[in-house]
Amino acid sequence: MLEIDKLEKILVGLKRVVDYNVRVRVKADASGVETDGVKMSINPFDEIALEEALRIKERGEADEVVVVSMGRTECQQQLRTGLAMGADRAILVESDDEIDSLTGAKILLALVEREHPGLVILGKQAIDNDNNQTGQMLAALWDRPQATFASELTISGDSATVTREVDVGLETIEIDLPAVVTADLRLNEPRYVKLPDIMKAKKKPLDIVPLADLSVAPAPRLTSVEYTAPEQRQKGVIVDDVAGLVAALKEKGLA
Amino acid sequence: MIVVDRLKAIVGAGGWIDDAQSLEPYLTEWRGRYRGRSPLLIAPSSTAEVSASIKVCAEHGVGIVPQGGNTGLCGGAIPDESNEQILLSLNRMNNIRHTDVDDFSMVVDAGCTLQKIQRVAADLDLFFPLSLAAEGSCQIGGNLSTNAGGINVLRYGTARAQVLGLEVVLADGRIIDGLRSLRKDTAGYDLKQIFIGAEGTLGVITAACLKLYPRPKHCNTIFVAIDSAAAAVRLLGRMRALLGESPQAFELISSRAMRIAERYDSTLRNPFDTASDWYVLTTVNFETSALENLLMSEIETNGIIEAIVAKNEAEAEKMWRLRHSISAAQKNEGASIKHDVAVPVSRVGEFIVSVEFGIAEISPRARVVAFGHVGDGNIHLNVSQPKTQSIDLFLEDQSAITDFVYRTVDRFSGTFSAEHGIGIARKEHLQEFRSETELSVMRAIKSSLDPQGIMNPGKVL
Ligand SMILES: Cc1cc2nc3c(=O)[nH]c(=O)nc-3n(C[C@H](O)[C@H](O)[C@H](O)COP(=O)(O)OP(=O)(O)OC[C@H]3O[C@@H](n4cnc5c(N)ncnc54)[C@H](O)[C@@H]3O)c2cc1C
Repeated sequence: MLEIDKLEKILVGLKRVVDYNVRVRVKADASGVETDGVKMSINPFDEIALEEALRIKERGEADEVVVVSMGRTECQQQLRTGLAMGADRAILVESDDEIDSLTGAKILLALVEREHPGLVILGKQAIDNDNNQTGQMLAALWDRPQATFASELTISGDSATVTREVDVGLETIEIDLPAVVTADLRLNEPRYVKLPDIMKAKKKPLDIVPLADLSVAPAPRLTSVEYTAPEQRQKGVIVDDVAGLVAALKEKGLA
Repeated sequence: MIVVDRLKAIVGAGGWIDDAQSLEPYLTEWRGRYRGRSPLLIAPSSTAEVSASIKVCAEHGVGIVPQGGNTGLCGGAIPDESNEQILLSLNRMNNIRHTDVDDFSMVVDAGCTLQKIQRVAADLDLFFPLSLAAEGSCQIGGNLSTNAGGINVLRYGTARAQVLGLEVVLADGRIIDGLRSLRKDTAGYDLKQIFIGAEGTLGVITAACLKLYPRPKHCNTIFVAIDSAAAAVRLLGRMRALLGESPQAFELISSRAMRIAERYDSTLRNPFDTASDWYVLTTVNFETSALENLLMSEIETNGIIEAIVAKNEAEAEKMWRLRHSISAAQKNEGASIKHDVAVPVSRVGEFIVSVEFGIAEISPRARVVAFGHVGDGNIHLNVSQPKTQSIDLFLEDQSAITDFVYRTVDRFSGTFSAEHGIGIARKEHLQEFRSETELSVMRAIKSSLDPQGIMNPGKVL
């Protein structure tokens, strides 16, 4: 185990997704979700991941925060936002193909092997497909510890203490670094970005790496057959009394 | 009362209430400022029922008070104390009658809430721009009857500008079926205009054909800390000169309004680390980086201290929640004397300075809370009770303060009633600040459409 008293680098993943507050609409041809002219933002959990990395750096416990995105050239917008929040530099692994969780994890592994971060922080899941897999897969491929669903994170030398939000409550674990941590909602509240920082971010380094350069071949295992909107909820009815309720249930074959 | 029985028969079971307890919320204005009495509330479920009900009232010469969401701020929807006026609620007329995407229009019942209309438009990937803090409960019929403004007037105009056609029941029960969706129609007088902003004194609006717009692209929400109201007006001028009509909303918030909102709701906070005297909250439909460049060049040179660009819609919503909570937040700060005034946009800065100065002379420790739609020259200039003074003592100065504000407004060629209307609250001021010629034309319209004076009696005129 190599000795670290300060992390040299934290790597953070930022995924471009349809903004959380936008009402998602299925494309007319059922081939996917409408993104044309739709507001796109950083996946909210990734924003929390970045905020945590920045706080670690600001406490003097890390030297550099690098943000990474994978996908189309438009992802640069989200990387610029990450840089405006305070990341030092950005990498876009550019690809026009759909990137599934495993391909994403392999790409991140390739970047980890280049950048040697002491810590990788990702969101616990992306709100577009809700897969909740990439962090776990990266940890497995990298063969390093993982702490998912983090709601608290402290770094001490070459280990980290992480409070995890698990089904039964909170669990606190200690992991050796380097490791993968995935951020949950309560980890922090991300900062606002100020205009001068946005301007500075335009000048920060943003490397574009074609996916082909990383010798990771996207091998999608999923084919989407069709997208449909959830069925509209039927309007409720108000029944007058118990007898009415029973009658209504019977009519629906529920009693 | 025989009228009561006849009306009950028209609207049927479930269409009326007459017991004191259920009537209570409909008889009180939301701030508790105005209270009235009424023997009966009817909630007709169709235009035909509205018409039949009004015919009965006309026959008996009984007054009718139309009521929408009862969020109005001037007591216009509250009956008087005589216990003789019938409340007519549009609550049960709340269907979207028709939407036409290619025509960019929709026909809605008057009782639809504003929020419902916005959502239906959004589901069609279109946009209905009227928006104000009470949108979850106010109704389109109320919005049109008060010619409401709100935050998007700058780009889209007031409620009036959103109307293509109206269906109205007159004071004798006849129905004007004017639900045409035409953009152009010069066939005689444009009758719908007379009912918009009439506050229910000329007839009951039962349905409207509304204009829809394409969904705005590039919605950027920006919070700006700025050193004066005048600088805010200059910033708006620069934005319009360089970005055209893209500023959709442009709201001014004073530091005191910001603090009151923060105190009111602990989940709201000033997004800036250090406080400044004024803030602007703006939504701009322009490509992000050009907008950023413009704002950056204004920073420091033109009084802009700092600017925050919402990086996602959740942040934008939080910023707007802060703005929208200011009205409600003042309730917690003791008595508040409210003024809804407008002056020419170019003179907003100068106007606020004059008014603050004058109020300080009348009531030295009164707290002036200024905020509002500065892009329309419309300032909500509310004066809150000093923390250390009793309500009664403070309210002794009320008429002196209001007189001073309105006289100043007049001097600036403004209006004492920008977007909330007259109701009963500002009747006297209407008499004072409108010319006799204008008032006589208003009276002539009223008496020819409602000769018996049964439509919302005692309001406006
Ligand atoms: C928190 C808050 C913020 C607000 N912000 C704004 C703002 O930014 N801009 C703005 O312009 N206003 C604002 N308002 C006030 C605004 O006038 C009302 O919210 C709204 O326009 C009135 O709608 P309503 O359905 O509640 O009408 P009501 O209060 O029920 O009625 C208002 C008047 O219209 C009449 N009326 C109602 N429905 C009909 C109808 N169908 N036919 C004929 N007459 C009718 C009533 O008799 C009454 O005179 C605000 C109010 C609140 C509480």
